[in-house]
Amino acid sequence: MITRCVRIICALVICVAVYFPARHARHYEYIPLKKVIQELTFVDGTPHSENHLRNCSYEDLILKSKEVPVSDITKPKKFELPLRGGEYIPRQCNSIIKTAIVVPYRNRSEQLQIFLNYMHSFLQQQSIHYKLFVVEQNNSLPFNRAQMINYGASVAISLNYPCLVLHDVDLIPLSTGNIYACSERPRHMSSSLDTFRYNLPYLTLFGGAIAILSQQYEEVNGMSNLFFGWGGEDDDFYTRLISHNLFPYRFDPEISRYSMLFHRKQPKNEERYETLKKSLKENKNDGLNNLHRKYYIVQEDLFTRIVVF
Amino acid sequence: MDDETLCCCEYYDSFKERNHILACCCNCVDLDEAVDSLIRGKKVSDNNKTGLLNTMQDRLRVPWRGGAKQVAFDSILPVIILPSMLLLGSISLWWTVFSFTTVAIFLSLIFNFLIKTIPNTKFFFVWTVTSMVLLYFIFEFIVIPFLEILVEENILLSALIFGFIICLYTTKIRANELTSLGTEECESSVGKEVGGFYNCRICDNKIPDKDHHCVWFDCCISKHNQCCFIAALFFAIAALLYSSNLTLTSVCHPFEFYKTILLPDDCSDVYYQFELALSFVSAIYSIAIAILLTVILLQQIFLVSIGMSLKEWNKLSIISKLCLGLNTKRIHNRGFLKNWSKIICWNKYQYHPLNREV
Repeated sequence: MITRCVRIICALVICVAVYFPARHARHYEYIPLKKVIQELTFVDGTPHSENHLRNCSYEDLILKSKEVPVSDITKPKKFELPLRGGEYIPRQCNSIIKTAIVVPYRNRSEQLQIFLNYMHSFLQQQSIHYKLFVVEQNNSLPFNRAQMINYGASVAISLNYPCLVLHDVDLIPLSTGNIYACSERPRHMSSSLDTFRYNLPYLTLFGGAIAILSQQYEEVNGMSNLFFGWGGEDDDFYTRLISHNLFPYRFDPEISRYSMLFHRKQPKNEERYETLKKSLKENKNDGLNNLHRKYYIVQEDLFTRIVVF
Repeated sequence: MDDETLCCCEYYDSFKERNHILACCCNCVDLDEAVDSLIRGKKVSDNNKTGLLNTMQDRLRVPWRGGAKQVAFDSILPVIILPSMLLLGSISLWWTVFSFTTVAIFLSLIFNFLIKTIPNTKFFFVWTVTSMVLLYFIFEFIVIPFLEILVEENILLSALIFGFIICLYTTKIRANELTSLGTEECESSVGKEVGGFYNCRICDNKIPDKDHHCVWFDCCISKHNQCCFIAALFFAIAALLYSSNLTLTSVCHPFEFYKTILLPDDCSDVYYQFELALSFVSAIYSIAIAILLTVILLQQIFLVSIGMSLKEWNKLSIISKLCLGLNTKRIHNRGFLKNWSKIICWNKYQYHPLNREV
């Protein structure tokens, strides 16, 4: 009798250990497609546009989302040449969405070419007012993604962009309805990524592509500058948001599909857990308010280049 | 000898002395003498050689409840070969090709040799079990922690594996029942030629309506357990293909084939990281087995449909094989539906000597 009980308990323990949800990719809560439009935040028309135009409508774009085939990503795309510095203001209607797209970057010129070619045509179809900022790290230190985002974000905020999209250069949005706008709460955009089998690895994942209001980004003092190498900075940013009562969410997986350009999994930053602990304590003095490196800005044809030394 | 019960690592050796597994390299008289004569420049006597081999075989044991159990050398071979094949294969693409072809050639060479010299060898059955365990462990502890597979996908895979184990178990249980039937039959009719019973030279049993002896399952397949055998094959193929698809879409770059079905399209980066490479190699191994099993499954389905046993099929000439055996006289053929119903509804009491149809 006792041995039988022990066996049953053992079997149960093994089952729980094997099928433990945290060992697997997760299903997650999301804003359903029909409610997405209610969540978005808008601005009152851009000053450059003429007043007789009516405001752009985004409902059809979101509800009639289509999937771009992965093979089409690298094909040359037709798009209107943006203003110098990679800024585009739709002319057919009065855009009520104004977004700065901040892309941290180093030594990936091939990826950047594909990204620029794809994103301009993708974003112009959404008829939003946007500007592309590419932040380049130009020193011998290991790549610091979060710090580059901080520099990009501070430039964008100084240019009065109310909405920031923090975007990796190797991510390509596949759903045409994935609107590059900010919502009431910070939003994790790349929740359905092809290299993750279109699943979400864990619920607190907050990397890849993020949309956040500039005001909220300033409120949490941006991202931590301490994360060199790969990984950890997004988890840290997530905890920062939570500690400021900003609870991120996600939109329908149908409009959150992304493709990763080059898929080699890189070695992880060994110290990241240490840094994670340290950074939580130094929340107030580490972030947007302690950017001391020198940088300069170049207005390229398709984007604004911010070079950080 | 003392009456104390043995611990799991102890055993009584060939000299009836209590011994311990950890002492396997100590105190071997024959080895001492052999080395001694080697140093002196003399020839090692045959006595010493056979003694050495016997001692080695005697000390090759695995811990077991109530004393360590002796295992045959040929049955632990797969436990060494399979992991080393997968590990070597995960170095680079060329190593994968090399280790897989080496193992394939080795298996085809050793197959006939083993069956002739040691007919009741457990080599092939151990191979099956080791493959299963290895592939499952690699999936659970290397592929799942990539965090790309959903719980329900894991549960579905476990269900398929469970189905396979149940069918394999039933196949073997029924094979044992048949063996006992065969023994009874022979005792009741000594010296007579018994119709419908075939002597299996591999497991040395009398089996009614024998189809073939499956070395990988280590049992005879006849009409009584053919149904379970086919089901086991089906579950094995499904589990292998499903697990390899999950693994490959996790470690490679996937694309959407149809709705939610993903297929891998770019696996060029797997060899840069050991875990990825090992998962990839195990998936390739799964696909290789799945292909072999599919051939066997199709053959089984075909033979059952035309009402032939594998034994009869193998005796056919090439021409009648090309005609799919339809031109030959098939004594057991009762038509497509009846052939299948006979296999699915087989009842062991049908073969009782008294009410057996003559």
